Amino acid sequence: MKPAKQLILPAFGVLILVGWPLSGLSTDMHHRVLGMAFFYGAFAMTWNISALTGAVSLGHAAFFGLGAYAAGLTSHYWQISPFLGVLLGGLLGGVYACLWALLFKNLRGARFALASLASVEIPKTLADNWDSLTSGSLGLVGIQSLPTLDLGAWHIAWGDDLKAQYFLLLAFMSMMVLFHFRSIRSRWGWAIRCVREDELAAAGLGVNVGAVRAQALILSGFLAGICGGLYAHLMGMIEPALVFSLHLSAMPLVLSLFGGRYEVFGPLLGALVLYPIDQLLFHSLLPVGHAGLYGLMIIVTFLFFPQGIAAWLQKRGKSA
Amino acid sequence: MDAKTHTSQALVLLRTAAVVLLALFVLAVLPTALPAQSAAVRIGEIDPLTGKLAKHGTEIHEGIVAAVEEINQRGGILGRPVELAFRDDQSLPETAINQAEDLLYRENVLGLVGGYVDSLVAPVSELAAKHRIPYVASASLQRSLTQGRHNPYFFRVAHLDGIVRPLCGFVTNVLKARSIAILHSATPGSTEFAEEIRACLEAAHLPVTLFEKFRPGSHDFSAFLMKARQAAVDTLICGGFLPDHLMLVRQLKDQRIPVRHYIGPWGVAYGSFIEEMGRDSEGLLGMCAWNPGITRPGTDEQSQAFVERFRARFKKSPNSTTMHGYVSARALLAAIESVATTSTPLTGEAIAAKLRTVDIATPMERLAFDEQGDPKDYHQVIVQIQNGKMVAIYPPERATGKLE
Amino acid sequence: MLLQLIASSFSLGSFYALIALGFSLIFGITRAFNLAHGDLILLSGYLAYALYKGLGAPVLLTLPLCMLALPIVTVVLHRFLRHVREPFELNTLVVTFGLSMVLQNAMLLAFSANFRLLPKADFTMLPPESTPVLNPGQIFLIALSLLATAATHVLLHHTFLGKALRATIQEREAARLAGIPVERMGVVAFALGGTLIGLAGPLYGQSAYLQPFAGPEPTLTAIIITIFAGVGRTRGILLGGWILGFVESAAALVLGSSWREMVAAVLLIALLLLRPEGLLTLRPHRESKA
Repeated sequence: MKPAKQLILPAFGVLILVGWPLSGLSTDMHHRVLGMAFFYGAFAMTWNISALTGAVSLGHAAFFGLGAYAAGLTSHYWQISPFLGVLLGGLLGGVYACLWALLFKNLRGARFALASLASVEIPKTLADNWDSLTSGSLGLVGIQSLPTLDLGAWHIAWGDDLKAQYFLLLAFMSMMVLFHFRSIRSRWGWAIRCVREDELAAAGLGVNVGAVRAQALILSGFLAGICGGLYAHLMGMIEPALVFSLHLSAMPLVLSLFGGRYEVFGPLLGALVLYPIDQLLFHSLLPVGHAGLYGLMIIVTFLFFPQGIAAWLQKRGKSA
Repeated sequence: MDAKTHTSQALVLLRTAAVVLLALFVLAVLPTALPAQSAAVRIGEIDPLTGKLAKHGTEIHEGIVAAVEEINQRGGILGRPVELAFRDDQSLPETAINQAEDLLYRENVLGLVGGYVDSLVAPVSELAAKHRIPYVASASLQRSLTQGRHNPYFFRVAHLDGIVRPLCGFVTNVLKARSIAILHSATPGSTEFAEEIRACLEAAHLPVTLFEKFRPGSHDFSAFLMKARQAAVDTLICGGFLPDHLMLVRQLKDQRIPVRHYIGPWGVAYGSFIEEMGRDSEGLLGMCAWNPGITRPGTDEQSQAFVERFRARFKKSPNSTTMHGYVSARALLAAIESVATTSTPLTGEAIAAKLRTVDIATPMERLAFDEQGDPKDYHQVIVQIQNGKMVAIYPPERATGKLE
Repeated sequence: MLLQLIASSFSLGSFYALIALGFSLIFGITRAFNLAHGDLILLSGYLAYALYKGLGAPVLLTLPLCMLALPIVTVVLHRFLRHVREPFELNTLVVTFGLSMVLQNAMLLAFSANFRLLPKADFTMLPPESTPVLNPGQIFLIALSLLATAATHVLLHHTFLGKALRATIQEREAARLAGIPVERMGVVAFALGGTLIGLAGPLYGQSAYLQPFAGPEPTLTAIIITIFAGVGRTRGILLGGWILGFVESAAALVLGSSWREMVAAVLLIALLLLRPEGLLTLRPHRESKA
């Protein structure tokens, strides 16, 4: 009975998110903004998978940017299928995460955060200076958009048709929810939680602390790389300063904490609330001071819901 | 008892907060009730209004506002007032696209203007084409935007050639440079500029002895200046922006590097730069398409009138960037006006078609667009700061003073 | 050339240290991760600019005024951050992230998006053609940062208050048990940190520039140096600033300006791996969980 109750809200949410575009009441503006909200929600979840082990990273832009460049360059030079390129982006992100896992295995807390922050500079500077390969600061332009799927009478143009793109991003986000769910509510998720709460006790219980941390980090880097690859194809252009930015490193942290970083739907909820309100309400309300409103909303909400809004919803769901 | 009332109070607060959040979300997502087909002609603008580029974004915005208010004072377009809806792009492409989409769907704009960063202008121009709405970019320069892709809805009032050609001519013909250093910022626009000017100078067999790039936001140029001293650089071309010049020139003076000519195509020819640098700005070389007192021959009166109107309205002087915003809005409004007078319905297609044949005289240039949407005439002038004022010194036909 | 390099790295490093001191003190004692640090520095810089432009106050005089004004702001911030719940470090990070946005936009409205400079301390009695290794502005910067570091060090290590503050940095709970009013130490830390931020503001307006959105850069510098030096290590901060300044300048000189950030990053990572407890620490001290 209890799990069913807990699923009511998410099921309701999915129903709205799927039904709304089909109802004809939405415009391409909504598809675009909510699609990007799904995208950043997904990215925030990939960040959280490693953050759940206690390793709060300030450098996920490294994976994101590497993924974006892998997808952008393979598409630019060899015109390979975008989905394959995105997967390669994920692999490159995963490889870089392996390096982190090896080198940073003894760093905790603030020192891990600083090391991760510094790690963004290496791929960023390389992409910025390797002119013959990446065209340097000029960035890569004209990256092919997402392909069109031909199913006989149906043409699903993920690149041009924003409604199709919306559903693609919705599916992508749902996939990330699954990964995120597994890293909270599975055996492995429990191991992650043990590692976060008390490493010594976890080791005593037979959890391989090093392995769990490394697994989470590598999975997180791989998925963040996939996000980056997808971004390259969504935007059609990338620049080192754009895909290796501090903005991208900080955003998943803010979204996750705002939404609730220990909840399955936390990071996603953070993105679904903050992004559309900012883009569609604050920007048109105050074109010059919108970021001030955004900041104010973060402060005020955070004082009310210090565990994130998802945690509060969860509690309400349980007590009801 | 006390604890109980406390928690119930907290619960009420929490509930209120949650309801407020939900209400905000619904407000954001719902399409706003459109104003009952108002009589106004609406145009939209996207610019960096916050962030490090906010200075120039704001200048473009004020230029556009000046153009809109000017036409409204004349009675609007056939009696219909013009309304401007503007948005911030945060210097991020996805924000630029979201906001352009918002202008197109909820504000029902007939055309778009503005734009400072090329990598944001490109996606907005594609969106404009998709919606069949013309976009006149205010300060776009990069070549790749108009070359090799045909977009009948994209126009702009500037291009890179209008900067590189006069600058290259000036350095080769006027300066007797023995050692040239080129420094640029790691942004697409600055990088393309630096590469073009280097190619042009090297084709003229001038010695480019130092070519370097820095991350935007760097404050410290001392290592670069040490190298410049070693290479006996006498001409330094810096493709950075206003804050970079503030830092670089100050350190140049502090370290007493004997550079004879300092050239900053963007950022030096601004009143605010001279004001902040004070006497240290004397003799520096900059570039602009227009400035109060530096205007296309034959438009002195028009230019003067603009400056006075602008000062009365905004309590400050306009500059080259302001003028770019003003000219881009003028072009769009002229096209809308000429469609309106032919009594064809005001559609994006009709306005874009009219923009092809627009030919207006502005203080900056005689504005007409070529097949690609580039301006046919766009030539910046080289200015030198002399006694706290900008003096045009090149090309000769525009010069009002001499290089000192 | 080498002398030039060392001289300019000293001045750059001292500048970095000045930016980081306030952050380090506040973070060390209260564990508040203040992402609005850079914005507060800019606020102080703007205050100095307003005094200088509006009232014609000499820049040297604005230093003590800013050092008096900023503690008021930071103590208010402290009162406000007291409402933030555990985990304190991460939660203050998000709240001050929001605060930083509010401050940036408030400064945009108040001071416009223009770039502003404060004139450098000018006591040039040098012959105009000489090329000194250090120019007056750099000497001023180095002297002030040495002074600020020394003052903070003396306060922390040679006063009773300092002892209580250090105890709070090292073992918060033990300090509480020993009867140290940890909460009040928080106010003191924010006030002292505010004084140091107040000092950094006008200097930031001299050595860099003021713009409403320029805050994230000094914030980042402060975070890097604080963690790099080891939390609460005053002398380590100066040393860390100098090392970072030297490596950045040397990289820009040898490899080119576009490589400096990467070389600095590699050095940071290497030092974090080799000296995980900070630059000057001899014995490990416990890291609180983030």
